[in-house]
Amino acid sequence: MIQPMIQPVIQPVVPPMIQLRDVRKSYSRGTESVLACAVDRLDIAAGEQVALIGRSGTGKTTVLHILAGILRPDQGSIEAVGRRLDQMSESARDRHRGRHIGMVYQTFNLLQPFTALENVLLGALFGRGAGSDSRARAEALLQQVGLGDRMHHRPRELSVGQVQRVAICRALVNDPELILMDEPLGNQDRATGGQVLDALLQLATRGKKTVVMVTHDPESAKRMQRTVDLATLRGATPVVAAAGGSS
Amino acid sequence: MKLWSISLRNLRIRLVATVLTMASIIVATALYAAILVMAEQTEQRYKGSVGGYQAVVGPKDASQLELVLNTIFNVGEAPGLFPLQVCMDLRSGVGVSRRGQVRYAVPQARGDSVSRFNFPVIATLDEMFSKYEWQKAPLVFAAGGPFQFGWDDLMAFATELAAHENGKRAGEVPLPPRPLLKKEWCKAVVGARVARTLGLQLGAVVTPVHGKMGEFGFHEHPEAACEIVGILAPTNSPLDTTIFLPLSTHLLIDGHEAGVFVVEIPPGKTPDDAKKLPVKPGQIALTAIIVDPKDHFGARILRNDFGTRPDAQVAWPQDVVPKFLRQIGNAADALAVIAWLVLLVAAVSITVAIYNTMNERRREIAIMRSLGATRLQILVIIVGEAALLSFFGALLGLLTCHGAACLLQATVEDMTGVYLDWLTFRPWEAWLLLGVTGLGAIAGLLPAVKGSMTEVADNLAADY
Repeated sequence: MIQPMIQPVIQPVVPPMIQLRDVRKSYSRGTESVLACAVDRLDIAAGEQVALIGRSGTGKTTVLHILAGILRPDQGSIEAVGRRLDQMSESARDRHRGRHIGMVYQTFNLLQPFTALENVLLGALFGRGAGSDSRARAEALLQQVGLGDRMHHRPRELSVGQVQRVAICRALVNDPELILMDEPLGNQDRATGGQVLDALLQLATRGKKTVVMVTHDPESAKRMQRTVDLATLRGATPVVAAAGGSS
Repeated sequence: MKLWSISLRNLRIRLVATVLTMASIIVATALYAAILVMAEQTEQRYKGSVGGYQAVVGPKDASQLELVLNTIFNVGEAPGLFPLQVCMDLRSGVGVSRRGQVRYAVPQARGDSVSRFNFPVIATLDEMFSKYEWQKAPLVFAAGGPFQFGWDDLMAFATELAAHENGKRAGEVPLPPRPLLKKEWCKAVVGARVARTLGLQLGAVVTPVHGKMGEFGFHEHPEAACEIVGILAPTNSPLDTTIFLPLSTHLLIDGHEAGVFVVEIPPGKTPDDAKKLPVKPGQIALTAIIVDPKDHFGARILRNDFGTRPDAQVAWPQDVVPKFLRQIGNAADALAVIAWLVLLVAAVSITVAIYNTMNERRREIAIMRSLGATRLQILVIIVGEAALLSFFGALLGLLTCHGAACLLQATVEDMTGVYLDWLTFRPWEAWLLLGVTGLGAIAGLLPAVKGSMTEVADNLAADY
């Protein structure tokens, strides 16, 4: 009797966009050492949109800075966009961040003396380099978010919503694989901010970009595909909540 | 957008601080450039002037520097008198070796001046404009031409004047007539600056004066008022400030009688006795002879030939002036050191000005770092700020120097005789520009290092 051959099902292995293992980061406060964040394990797949939530002081922003390569953890390994950040030099992490990671802050962090277009171009300059195509791309992005007629205005001359959109354009100008957002709606009314955030997520989905957003706002978190509570990442498998519920 | 455009923007943001710091760079660079320009133009003037004189013959008891400075640069009083016989010997080759022979020997006598500017009057021959060579070519006239009074005229005049003087000393009756000041001798050739300063044209009249205006003994010589027949083209040398007259006019000026002849007091005689001794045409008093030896080493040989001569000596300007210039050069070097110190102070002001802004710029730097700027890029931006500040400061400093040279050209020339050529940009100015820029960049290193050490995470959290 001939046994039928069993064909193994080969699942394509997609490396995660972000992989954190046993990450610890402490700060010195005088003689005291304060544990700022502890993540035993966190995986985020490419193209995922994840909200990192947690109470104040749980180290949400610290995790974001570690993911961006701005901070180096005291221990543990971090892989982001295919590179082990914990093994890279500071300047290599800077270059990696510039080319592959876009960042949007709660305070937007635009440079006041520069116009909206120049702020976006700054992102290009420190990212993939400032060429004529980056200018065209910056202008196209600003047009896309409805700031075509405001691109030569300085941040002080723009509304909060417009500033937020400039910050998003700056984050996207290098066409990064990973977008990190730190409370992007923190400074504005939910309706306006929500619209802009939806627009960003739409762009990210279209470009298959991974988005990690730190927020304490449940409404914003609901817009993401997955929610991760940082408090649950320490010493246990993370509890993952699906958008609008649990997953 | 480039890194330098961020540097430039940062300078524009802090406009007041930028302008104030830049002002110190402008002043320092302008000062340094002005010192170099003055030193260079002075050297050029002195060296250029020396180029017109191979050898100068003068009285034995004068110093060679004194003789050269007075004859070539019109500095000070004539150091003494010596007899025309020396010139006669030089022209005829008496008492000089074969290699000490000369192409020309133009006698000069001076003592008077013109106007409150004290433009020196030199009495000479028309050979000054036909034989004498200013930098290997005869002097060029901007207008008119030379007066007419040559060597033969001088010989005839000297003989006539000596006969008159001897008759006077011997109490002859009738006294041989004193040569009359002919109308064709009352002609003058003036240097370019004399004409420009006094607004003189051909046909104008200049009157020699003796002494300095307002001082004891000052008097005019209206009898020797001369019509200008020639105006020399500019030479950027003391020739520009000189008025040339025929020797005969100088010797016939009232009050010059006592100094017309050089009389040696024989041993055992008094000066009063000497006044009664007969004189020869060769004893007519000169202050200098401009000589051009035929031989390449002629000036040295001539100097040796004149070593044993009791009445005159030969000065070799090519030897005397460089020694003098080394003294001048030392003074210029000392000034340059001061200017460098001023530049250093300006560089320190850049360091302080930028360093003081580092605290308020921490967030801006952190934002750029968060966008991917490396520490090196931050360092380049801040050093670039200092370098741009210095570059523009130095550029404006150089322009200020040229502007000041343009405005003060006439004043400086009147005061020092140095002609400031403000239109010419010299190669060292490019080096100065680069040097100051480099110095500024170095000054920016300290704040740049501080800026590049800015902690990103700590400084991103500030409020919008």
